Amino acid sequence: MKIVKAAIAGTLESSDLVVKVSPAEDGLDITVNSEVYKQFGEQITAVVKETLSAFNITQGEIIVEDKGALDCVIRARMQTAILRGTESKEIAWEKL
Amino acid sequence: MMKKLRRSMLFLPGSSAAMLSTAFIYRPDSIMFDLEDAVSLKEKDSARLLVFHALQHPMYKDIETVVRINPLNTPFGLKDTEAAVRAGVDVIRLPKTDTPDDIYQLEGEIARIEAECGRPVGSTRLMAAIESAVGVINAVAIAKSSPRLMGIALAAFDYVIDMQTERGDGTELFYARCAVLHAARGAGIDAFDVVYADIDDEAGFLKEVDLIKRMGFNGKSLINPRQIEILHNAYAPTQEEVDYAERVIAAAEEGDRHGLGVISLNGKMIDAPIINHARVVIERKNASGVRQ
Amino acid sequence: MYSDPSLTFETVETHSGTLREEIALFLKSNGLGMDDDIEQFVIARCKRHLVACAGIAGSTLKCIAVDAAWRSTSLGLKVIHEAEAQAIQNGEHQLFLLTTPCNVKAFRGCGFYPLVTLDNRATLMENTPVGIHHYCRKLRKHHQVNASNVGAIVMNANPFTSGHLYLIEQAAKACDWLHIFVVEEDLSTFSFQDRLAMVQEGSRHLPNVTVHPGSRYIISRGTFPGYFLKEKQIVNEVYAAIDLILFRRYIAPALNIRQRFVGTEPFCKVTAQYNFAMHHWLEDETIMADAPIKVNEITRVTDENNLPISASAVRKSLERNDMEAVTRMVPATTLPFLIRWLSRHPFKQSDYNLANVG
Repeated sequence: MKIVKAAIAGTLESSDLVVKVSPAEDGLDITVNSEVYKQFGEQITAVVKETLSAFNITQGEIIVEDKGALDCVIRARMQTAILRGTESKEIAWEKL
Repeated sequence: MMKKLRRSMLFLPGSSAAMLSTAFIYRPDSIMFDLEDAVSLKEKDSARLLVFHALQHPMYKDIETVVRINPLNTPFGLKDTEAAVRAGVDVIRLPKTDTPDDIYQLEGEIARIEAECGRPVGSTRLMAAIESAVGVINAVAIAKSSPRLMGIALAAFDYVIDMQTERGDGTELFYARCAVLHAARGAGIDAFDVVYADIDDEAGFLKEVDLIKRMGFNGKSLINPRQIEILHNAYAPTQEEVDYAERVIAAAEEGDRHGLGVISLNGKMIDAPIINHARVVIERKNASGVRQ
Repeated sequence: MYSDPSLTFETVETHSGTLREEIALFLKSNGLGMDDDIEQFVIARCKRHLVACAGIAGSTLKCIAVDAAWRSTSLGLKVIHEAEAQAIQNGEHQLFLLTTPCNVKAFRGCGFYPLVTLDNRATLMENTPVGIHHYCRKLRKHHQVNASNVGAIVMNANPFTSGHLYLIEQAAKACDWLHIFVVEEDLSTFSFQDRLAMVQEGSRHLPNVTVHPGSRYIISRGTFPGYFLKEKQIVNEVYAAIDLILFRRYIAPALNIRQRFVGTEPFCKVTAQYNFAMHHWLEDETIMADAPIKVNEITRVTDENNLPISASAVRKSLERNDMEAVTRMVPATTLPFLIRWLSRHPFKQSDYNLANVG
């Protein structure tokens, strides 16, 4: 799928995170910021990449600002941003 | 036989990642993830996904989960149902249930989704929320409309508007409460009372809890974790009630052992309803101790 | 119904009226003034009392205040989040925010990152950690030229005149490679698309020139709003400084730019003061560690009446439909754009009759 427009999901409240996606031409550009980056940065990035791969997204600028969110929240916010950015009308539940 | 206690149903806005991540620690009897009134229009999609994922997280494995979907005649209701059923929710709460047809319609969609995603058909339970005069009038039919229904709830906010009055000391809910309660009892399902919105007024809350417990409601919707303990305590039996209940159960078990057709205690006959109630009392005691 | 049932957010248009008054008073009680260019405010009310506000002016958030009693809650975060959501609905995804250095930490918590700090007076922030970095990376990747003497011009070209052409030709002679940035903001008489095309056509004959769209980091509403309020003679030295520091610290190094060219400015006060600021912020080695950039002011070319050719003179002649005068002031490459613009902006019959035909 292709990210066709800039989109944002989530908030910066504690235990949440903000995901911003926007179209890009040359591959995936992922930036992850987190107050617990040292302990969880790798984990967060893994979930981000996993979600992008499940949606077959190979191009895009992805910025994640994490405030200590659980994996399930990261997944939810990533998927929301992707669905908004790809302007998807239908949800393919197996991908989630 | 253990009857599921449903004294406290904690409402959480489906849009709050923080609340979804921490609410389980308060240990209410049920947790309700709200996708309807608590979520703004532009966040319906993100809240749906948050709830979809939270439902599958181990932290909610041992608590009964409920999702309040948007009505099916909105662009959101069906997607909410898909998300909730596929994520394994225990109960779906249908807001603004006015007629049995509303239940049939939802049932049909749920059965289809269960089949599609491989969930045992019939495993998703339903709760009807009565929020209008018509709903109250049809409560009896609604309560009997489906084997999936585990309970029927009264929701005050929209109901009092429909009744052209406002929330007050409870007079405005007088008939509705009785009607919903009777409908529930007639159908053999649970009855749930309204949200008490003023979270700072503990005395007022306690007074209302006392009333609805004496009326016979199984439980109440809550919007703040602080209300949980107060509610559980109010539903906790007194030592006297516990002692009596234990004697009833002992007598029943004794009667079973000897194959007696009729069981008696202190010369009085005790039948099934009394024994069931005794079990509920013990359940409540096990859950939150004895009332001080 | 939940954590704060009485808190509501709404977006309001604030050109005038009692609502504007109310917000201005609220800002005043929080030690802030109200800026003129704010189109919308996102406000938070608790039981009808105004408890927080954030103003949206294009791609910039400003006039942000939270009632003292609510400062330890997450209300500030919430109102910024709502303002960002509204800005996105307006089509603005990349936002700026100007604040005092002591508030930088608070806004960091709301997802804004510092770009440039001016003494202890102001910090410009943007709502992404990688905005300017990705922009410079793109510049470096696609446009960096292997040359030792690289120059730059920033121009609005509204429209592209013979004066602009002269400046470009002089600059191109004086360096190995010239980068021209056309101000991207669409707030001028001629659209950005037209202005960019005019510059491209007008410089096509020069082999050592790259024409770039300006981007939001060069004289944009986010970095230099005063530039677009020239009729009000508003010169905001803070914004001019920030715009120039951004150039010196980020953009120039990405392209190895060592000098910048400008035309001398006899008419417009704002541009003249900006030129003056350029010397200070770009050339002075003592004020910052980033490599200084030489500023070359090139005397404007004049017409046969010895008046410097300016874009505003061209616009005035256009308004009078004085095509003869216009033709004398612009290169041939610009004419088609002006003719097309005229056909889209027809003048009243009376204006036409007054014009010098022929």
